[in-house]
Amino acid sequence: MGLRSTLRYAALALLLVGLVCAGGLRAQRQEPVVVTALMPAPFAQATAPIVERFNRRHPGLELRVNRGPFETEAISDLAISSLLLGDSPYDLLLMDVTWTPKYVAAGWLTPLEPLLGEDALAGVVPGAREGNRFDGHLWRIPLVADMGLLYWRTDLMAAPPRSPAELMATAGALQRAGRVRWGYVWQGRQYEGLSCVFLEVLRGFGGQWLSDSGDRVELASPEAVAAASWLRQLIDQGITPRAVANFAEPEALQSFGAGDAALMRNWPYAWAELQKPGSPVRGKVGVTTMVAAAGGSPAATQGSWGFSLVSQSPHPREAALVIAALTAPEVQKDLAQRLGYTPTLSALFEDPQLVAANPVLPELRRALEATVLRPLSPLYAQLSDILQRQLSEVITGEREAAEGMERAQSLSNQVLRASGVGARS
Amino acid sequence: MRFRRLAVLMVLLWSLLPLLWQLYTSLRTGSALISPQPGLSGWTLDNYRQILSGDPPFWRFLLNSTVVGLASTALTLLLAIPCAYGLQRQPARTRALLSGALLAAAVFPYVLLFLALLELARRFGLANHLLALSLPYAGLSLPLAVLLLGAAFRDLPPELEESALLEGLNTWQRLRWVLLPLIAPASASTGLLVFLFSWNEYPIALTWISRQELLTLPIAIARIAGSSVYTVPYGAFAAATVLGSLPLLALVVIFQKPIVAGLTQGAVK
Amino acid sequence: MTLLLTLPALLLLALVFAVPLLRYGWLSFHADSVITGLQPLPNGGANWLRLIEDERFWQDTVQTLRFAGLSVALELLLGLALALLLHQSWRGRTALRTITLLPWALPTAVMALGWRWIFNDPYGPINGLLQVLGQPALPFLSSPASTWLVVVLADVWKTTPFVALLLLAGLQSIPTDLYEAFALEGGTPAQALRRITLPLLLPYAFLAVLFRLAQALGVFDLVQILTGGGPAGSTETLALYSYLSAMRFLDFGYSATVMLGMFVLLLGLTAVLLLGRRLLAGGRA
Repeated sequence: MGLRSTLRYAALALLLVGLVCAGGLRAQRQEPVVVTALMPAPFAQATAPIVERFNRRHPGLELRVNRGPFETEAISDLAISSLLLGDSPYDLLLMDVTWTPKYVAAGWLTPLEPLLGEDALAGVVPGAREGNRFDGHLWRIPLVADMGLLYWRTDLMAAPPRSPAELMATAGALQRAGRVRWGYVWQGRQYEGLSCVFLEVLRGFGGQWLSDSGDRVELASPEAVAAASWLRQLIDQGITPRAVANFAEPEALQSFGAGDAALMRNWPYAWAELQKPGSPVRGKVGVTTMVAAAGGSPAATQGSWGFSLVSQSPHPREAALVIAALTAPEVQKDLAQRLGYTPTLSALFEDPQLVAANPVLPELRRALEATVLRPLSPLYAQLSDILQRQLSEVITGEREAAEGMERAQSLSNQVLRASGVGARS
Repeated sequence: MRFRRLAVLMVLLWSLLPLLWQLYTSLRTGSALISPQPGLSGWTLDNYRQILSGDPPFWRFLLNSTVVGLASTALTLLLAIPCAYGLQRQPARTRALLSGALLAAAVFPYVLLFLALLELARRFGLANHLLALSLPYAGLSLPLAVLLLGAAFRDLPPELEESALLEGLNTWQRLRWVLLPLIAPASASTGLLVFLFSWNEYPIALTWISRQELLTLPIAIARIAGSSVYTVPYGAFAAATVLGSLPLLALVVIFQKPIVAGLTQGAVK
Repeated sequence: MTLLLTLPALLLLALVFAVPLLRYGWLSFHADSVITGLQPLPNGGANWLRLIEDERFWQDTVQTLRFAGLSVALELLLGLALALLLHQSWRGRTALRTITLLPWALPTAVMALGWRWIFNDPYGPINGLLQVLGQPALPFLSSPASTWLVVVLADVWKTTPFVALLLLAGLQSIPTDLYEAFALEGGTPAQALRRITLPLLLPYAFLAVLFRLAQALGVFDLVQILTGGGPAGSTETLALYSYLSAMRFLDFGYSATVMLGMFVLLLGLTAVLLLGRRLLAGGRA
């Protein structure tokens, strides 16, 4: 290659580099900072007008929402994939409460208190506050409160059952009288929902999942065995259909919504759906907390959704601004009014407009005071998986309750020991 | 004769009923599906409207799968044809050894590779690129492709190449101008199989793509299942199945012969 | 020179097949999980000891084998019947061949959800039909005794055409004069099937079994979408277990160990299969 052509190439290369740089500079000046959030599809849909308003008010910032699948496990797999692959396309994740410790341990989240202040959770109801702050940092700001509720048919019974025995008696009597096909439907599929259902019954019978010290699983306690046996009895006595072993929330709602069941365990979202025009049970549904036996107390599994900031995000400051804006009181009020979402801020439960629009709000408030947290551990996914599997064996009649719970306990403790978290005994 | 007619009927029902049921489901409203006496009302195109107006709209996933399928097919053939040709020119021992390894790789349940492939995607920044997805797809399709094309090369009469050699064509020219046209049918069969594989692949697309607008069809459809809290969206899902199946149905009907040839060639040779 | 032509393909093959297996070998001797902050720490043979004691691994092994065994056996049987049907010459057999190919061409993931709906309890069509007939609904997908059979059915539905086509290629390779000679000697068609067709079909059947068995042992999409492994873990396969260990429990060291455990199992089965073929071939000679 001659000198001239070398020079020509060099000039061309310089020109190209210059162009690229200029392009980069221009891009920097004009393009707004983009913050991308991953949300389950229904939340993405619900917040669409809010996001639009946010983008109008913040010209230098563009919030984009990516719709994920709704099933908790499917969206968790998706979020984990994106984080494992590095260079995450998401700055913000709308997360289930149980994921947080795992994500923190994996180093995927950024603490929020330096960006949002120490008192960012100040106005939040106790039932949505837990599970966001641990290891000395704030990791998540809840957007929507969620807790397990007992739905009952006001046209079939005067008052909802308050104890497990009462529930069986009421539901059984209604079935025998031919007034309803099934007594009680819940989530019995081998998935996270089954752990949520069980935790409520477990507390209702006075047991607990983890010991107070948090290093031992106590699922073989007499209370836990009684709780598992009760779920099994519901099926054995025909109060709950056998198909419940493959029921998630939509199937339970499908059955209850069609008027086929007297009672249902579900989350608050079901209320608005059951009140829609054309619903066969419209105006015939009440909401209350789960039943409890003598030694226990009514409990509602805490299942809130909240925002966390991904540590790979190049724009933590802007992302924090988005979190603050999307969890603001007016946004929560809007979501509650339009869609019946349960707010997380105490003040909103007394808002006269909201109470008028949603007559069950006081019941929800009461349920929020009875919330219980699933174990706050990076190993939660394993612990829950073990419990689901054993419970599924119990309710499908593969194993006796006592034996199943015994196995759940020993397998869980093995997992804790192997990781160095559990007590060595 | 009568027995055969019965057998054909059974085969038809077995193959088509589940597909027809999907078609039926896709045209029914949700309440018509769960009502005990379905009656004549309750027909709708809403399910199609819903998935086509989704965000992103459904045709986007079809497009993604097509892009990935075409890119993988092209890359596979680009690598497999020279490899198959080169393999035929090796001493018998080397050839037998490599063919054995290729057969082992061809039957290997590739789902086992997903974790390491995910790590490779992170290492080389290949995640969330549709074209990058064709790298593992080509790699996974190569064993079968090389075996099929190798069989095709073996079938060509050796005199052909010898006369081309006498005319002074070099290796590349011989491959490009003499042999390639002759193995075109085998290349087409192989390409179709690779395309079908890439179109249908699940575990790797599941772990390599985390952006909604880049999902390939199987993942997108699997996610529709959990897209609604309110109802089990069987109607929308069935509509997605129908739309997602149409291109494949067309492909199978049009290219039935080369697909079958590709499938059976490996066994015959 | 010609070896050079094979190089690009072989390099990609090494990257896609060899590198992962070597990586798993290395990972299986490390703790690399959410507890170690996703950093690999050498832990000797702890993963392998855990694998040997892991009841779930063995239960899944049994379930995977059970699924693969029954699926492949049914596919071979139905595939043979279908191949014999397609081998006869009659009008419309090309059309039938196209139609039978459809289930094979569709993505597994797509039909997996379809089956979930078809076997839905109580609203799915099969239970609807039972109801019309006055029978109680059957809990197809909520009983450990039946759910795995639904998974087998879905797999058989999809892959029988593949087996049938391989066997059909085998049938077409048998010279017809063999049958004519046999008939002249007074053999019945049933005898011809047993004495000529089946033995000559054996190599094709072997290839079909090899392909299908390996794929069935790695079954993933179908189970993940259709059942998620439940109820009572009765449909969890080894591939699903390793996927959950990695993507849900963030335990990469153990996930790699499970996959290698499965790989060893696969090698063992292939060895048995090869040995079996040799014995069969030897018996005939």
